[in-house]
Amino acid sequence: MTLIYQKAMETKLHADPVVREEIITKYLTRKLDQGTAAQFEDHYLSCQECFEEVRATELLISGLGRSGIERTQDHDVTVVRFAAPAELTASSLDLHALARMVQAPNETKVLIDLSQVSRIDSAGLGMLMRCYTHAVKNAGTIKLLNPTSQVKRVLSITRIDSVVPTYDDEKAALKSF
Amino acid sequence: MNLPDLEIEKLGVRLRYKVRYQLGFACPDIDDVVQETLRRFLDASQADRMRTPGATGAFLNGICRNVILEYRRRLFRDAPMPEVPPEPPPNHLPPTELFELRDAIAEGMKQLSARDQQVLRAFYLEERSVEEILELTGLSPSNFRVVLCRAKEKFRQIYCDRVKSQAAN
Repeated sequence: MTLIYQKAMETKLHADPVVREEIITKYLTRKLDQGTAAQFEDHYLSCQECFEEVRATELLISGLGRSGIERTQDHDVTVVRFAAPAELTASSLDLHALARMVQAPNETKVLIDLSQVSRIDSAGLGMLMRCYTHAVKNAGTIKLLNPTSQVKRVLSITRIDSVVPTYDDEKAALKSF
Repeated sequence: MNLPDLEIEKLGVRLRYKVRYQLGFACPDIDDVVQETLRRFLDASQADRMRTPGATGAFLNGICRNVILEYRRRLFRDAPMPEVPPEPPPNHLPPTELFELRDAIAEGMKQLSARDQQVLRAFYLEERSVEEILELTGLSPSNFRVVLCRAKEKFRQIYCDRVKSQAAN
């Protein structure tokens, strides 16, 4: 009997990659019923291919989830935060996501929380300045909050901190708008 | 039935994942549960107690379920009942593992186009049905399959590279 169930699961998983992905996603989010989850475990314990698919899906989901930037509103000020440790470098997805968010037509007063940003390069600095220009053109401004020591140093060397106000205290930063 | 060492090692990795999934990533006794399961499995295999040799995974999973049950019973017997029910194990990778892999994951994500990311986000995070995604994006079922397989191949490579580097260390 076990063998029949196992063969049925094997056929289902190997016949269609989309069906396999649906099962894996439900397994990872614990939405599979107990019986199907047990059958799926029976299968991946003896199938290296499906086990690798589970791990790959897990990485893919974490990658998709990680690229998120949180956006909150405090009166007319938009506060933008990174959901996870991030880098503002040429190759970073976070950089493009931040640029898209801050340069939206209705965003004029923006506070960018840099506490999760461990590294910034010329592309990141360029993007910050473009965001600043966009805000000023729309009669607004952007301000930076809690940059890490490394980012603070880069902002100071390039003198961007003399153009874009930088704060260590969120309340003070919000009050200054 | 005698299994080669490499096969036992692979079984151990898969079993460790299953135990971590059931007990949570932070459980301190994962290795003990894995070792005990493997010991019982090998004893049973050597004594030819496996009735259906084709169903190795199911046999191993059954042993593992018993070991986990015994482990949980022992925990409740030895420790006082918690006042607050314990939180269920997390659904995502532990932060340490994510931190180790963040560059590789970022690199993998960079190789996906914005449209592919949108499609994958809808499928994995928003848990929309395939039909719904096809309707929203205008993709054909075969295009959707290509997007999915292309993304999975990249992340499967990341996982395999990680396993190789761990083996080398």
